Amino acid sequence: MSRLASLWARLREQLTRGRADREFREELRAHVAELRDEHLRRGMTPADAHRAAMLAIGGFEQARELVNDRRGFLVLDHLWRDARHALRMLRKSPGFSAVAVVTLALGIGANAAIFSFIDAVMLRPLPYPEADRLIAIWEIERGGERGAVAPANLADYARVGAFEHVAGYSTPSLSLTGGGEPEGHIGEAVTWNYFTVLRVPPALGRAFTREEDSPAGRPVVIISDALWTRRFGADPAILGRAVDIDGVPHDVIGVMPPGFRGVSQFGSSVERHLWLPAAFPAELLANRGDHEIRAVARLRDGATVEGARAELTAISEGLAQAFPETNAKVLAQMQPLAGDVVRDVRRSLIVLMLTVGLILAIACVNVANLLIARGVGRRREIAVRYALGATRARVYTALLTESAVLALLAGAAGLCLALWIQGVLVRVAPASLPRLSEVTLDARAVAFTFGLSLAIAMIFGGLPAWQAGQARPVDAMASGGRIVAGSRVMRWRNGLMIGQLALSALLLVGAGLMIRSLVRLNSVDLGFDTAGVLTMRIGLPMAKYPTGDARLAFFEQVEARLTALPGVSGVGYANAFPLRGGWSSGFGIDGLPLPAEGVYEADFQAVSPGYFKTLGIPLIRGRHLTPADIKTSMAVAVVSEQFERQLLGGRNAVGTRFSRVGPDGPFITVVGVVRDVRRDGRTATVEPQVYLPAAQTGMYPVRLADLAVRSTGGNAHDLMPAIRAAIWSVDRDQPITNIRTLDEILAISSAERRFQTLLFAIFAGLALLLASIGTYGVVAYLVSQRTAEIGVRLALGASRGRIYRALVAPTALLVVAGTLAGVVAARWLAALLDTMLFEVPPGDPATYAAAAGTLLAVALVACVLAVRRAARIDPTTALRYE
Amino acid sequence: MPPRDKTDVLQGTLALMVLKTLDAMGPLHGYGIARRIEQMSGDALQMNQGTLYPALVKLEQQGWIRAKWGVSENNRKAKFYALTPRGERQLAAEADRWGRVAAIVGRFLKPAGDPS
Repeated sequence: MSRLASLWARLREQLTRGRADREFREELRAHVAELRDEHLRRGMTPADAHRAAMLAIGGFEQARELVNDRRGFLVLDHLWRDARHALRMLRKSPGFSAVAVVTLALGIGANAAIFSFIDAVMLRPLPYPEADRLIAIWEIERGGERGAVAPANLADYARVGAFEHVAGYSTPSLSLTGGGEPEGHIGEAVTWNYFTVLRVPPALGRAFTREEDSPAGRPVVIISDALWTRRFGADPAILGRAVDIDGVPHDVIGVMPPGFRGVSQFGSSVERHLWLPAAFPAELLANRGDHEIRAVARLRDGATVEGARAELTAISEGLAQAFPETNAKVLAQMQPLAGDVVRDVRRSLIVLMLTVGLILAIACVNVANLLIARGVGRRREIAVRYALGATRARVYTALLTESAVLALLAGAAGLCLALWIQGVLVRVAPASLPRLSEVTLDARAVAFTFGLSLAIAMIFGGLPAWQAGQARPVDAMASGGRIVAGSRVMRWRNGLMIGQLALSALLLVGAGLMIRSLVRLNSVDLGFDTAGVLTMRIGLPMAKYPTGDARLAFFEQVEARLTALPGVSGVGYANAFPLRGGWSSGFGIDGLPLPAEGVYEADFQAVSPGYFKTLGIPLIRGRHLTPADIKTSMAVAVVSEQFERQLLGGRNAVGTRFSRVGPDGPFITVVGVVRDVRRDGRTATVEPQVYLPAAQTGMYPVRLADLAVRSTGGNAHDLMPAIRAAIWSVDRDQPITNIRTLDEILAISSAERRFQTLLFAIFAGLALLLASIGTYGVVAYLVSQRTAEIGVRLALGASRGRIYRALVAPTALLVVAGTLAGVVAARWLAALLDTMLFEVPPGDPATYAAAAGTLLAVALVACVLAVRRAARIDPTTALRYE
Repeated sequence: MPPRDKTDVLQGTLALMVLKTLDAMGPLHGYGIARRIEQMSGDALQMNQGTLYPALVKLEQQGWIRAKWGVSENNRKAKFYALTPRGERQLAAEADRWGRVAAIVGRFLKPAGDPS
């Protein structure tokens, strides 16, 4: 109690010590006056009386010192004094301070920005109550990739005792019509317990009931707050009102709270606004081989992930035995949802964090090196401190405080920088990065930044402090005023400089490989001309267009109207255009034995006669598809060159017949061969292509749904109002979605790679900058330390060129050594990047040479610039130096 | 930190002497306390009066004494220290402890071989 009171009293004193000191001086003066009076009374002279009084109190200042030491906290006091001293010292050498603070700020800023990214994307819980208890479930075919869950298996997975609920969801494309322009949406079709699993009930209305989640259930829908506000004016009377979805009226029964996101939202740039009951049809629930949905579960209180996984595996294996036909190869797997939504980006984020970590390491090495250099210069000051009775602890504290002040200043600057970097990153990041909208620079990031700054101060300030603290009082006196770095200090600095250059080389090689990949990628020929081609999805609702003929009729009408538009040079339609998905199928070729795999495989597409012209795919031989190829005429197809090469051994394909049904036909005859395309983009391989006339595809399970328009120039999107009007003149309720030019799709598909490459390039540039600053700093300091020596040499007649060489040579050696070390390390680490590279081997010699060359050139320029100062030295001034 | 061990030993006894002085004399300024302690020791103790003040600061921090500005007999502005109720209790406890310690030490230092 009294201890606490005393602590409090001292804390108060700490804050009011200025006044306390003034008061004490007054008190002491009164004391001295009383003593003096007494001595005067005893007959002393005024001067003697004063001296006797001072003697009695043991000296005025000494008494003050004793009392001040007793007041408040000595440690705080020393810290404050050290901090002020540090600030003064930093102000006295603005060059050093600026370089150190800017260097650290760059490193800290980059780290804080990337941390806030990783925090939002990977570390922070998903925006659901107790989100860490949510589990994602998927199924894999043994030896295959992860796939969707069969709704028929869902009820079995719900038997896992560790799960409270298991919900299924899929992401259907929906059209919202009536009361405004038709809108295309990607909604979520969810089981009734979906919102129970997420623990987010609708803000208005209610969630789905079990009855509604069945094929016999009444059509109902839950909408997002954003849609409610935008389209329905946030009218509370929305509940019970019907909206048309895919042409069917659905009663709105609920509105989700603002900001609610469906599970499928993470990693998708399309916002979810509509939730429908999944209402699995009985056939689907009877077929365990039909994998259609994704699943999310909530762990029961007290249950563990491992326990749940064991149960799930056991159930899955039980199903494999009970239903060998459909489930023999299927295994259910699970992992916490938060990790699941970032599984695709985890690796690149980790590489990113490593990269900025390296940047920070380089910055720290820079500053540590500068501090060491400074420490050498300050040996005398430190020796004097020791000589005056400072303890080792006090000297270390003072030196560490100096680096802490530096680091904190840099932390503050870094935070501003981070804010800026983050703004840029969010703007250029690919939309597919999950949870991008959650990126903020919050208290966590601030805490991270300052924690990092202090850690840096302790670790990288500690070494120089230890070096400098080695000074002995005798050093100061013995070396006659001029202090030269000892060989041990030099070794440390050389090592740090080599390390720094090596790290920079590492980043430069990484960036070089990424940039080369991107260049390679962009130079890949797709085989079709993307310029000016605007594509859009027109998902005709089955209810309104039940047959292939109905769909064909719709598209033929639209084509006729669009062709007439000014600014349009080509119109095509298909089930899907390149880069927009597709359909792979097996078949047999007439007159050829079936291959060992069972059937021949190719990409199939149903295309309109205008398809090839719209995409600029040239004909090699035979003929294109024409409007004369109709349902009743001979079944024909056009194939790609790769079809000939891969499947026919290079023979002319025209005239070849193939069948998708059986050895006896019906057959489709190849009438033309066109150039190869990379359907799935630049990273995709060239696959055999088969183009069937849209008019003849009634016999195949393919729905026409994609439309492309080639514009004659300018921005293709400018055509959109006219295109919309034309389509809506055919069907005014038809939503048009996914409107993108092919170039935009390409840009999006390579967005992640471009983003990574951009970041890598920026960071490598930063590393290069830091390394050159570091080299410059160290050499410049060296030169300034040797000014006197240089003066002597000059005075003795050494040529400037010679001094030049003497200063550059040792540093140049370090630069070369560092670069070589970095290149060797890069060759070894580049394997990490392997999956991020495209057609560039991790050991690409040209990249390594370019990186090493750049680093050598920049570092040597920095070195020469620093040394040039020495050449300007005037011998007479130099000799008077210090 | 500067070595301070010697003064620390003194501080303990000095604090007790200050408390006793204030108990006996009522509120007193620093000079008065120093004079009184020197007088009580029969001028045998020539203390460094400067060391009195850290002791006073510590006693104040502990809440055993309280300081107030006033006017000295010589008409000077001076700081007067007075015992707080907690200080009185502390004095009683300390005096008791001191007495016991003194008795023990005294017994130790009795001529050897003397029983009882």
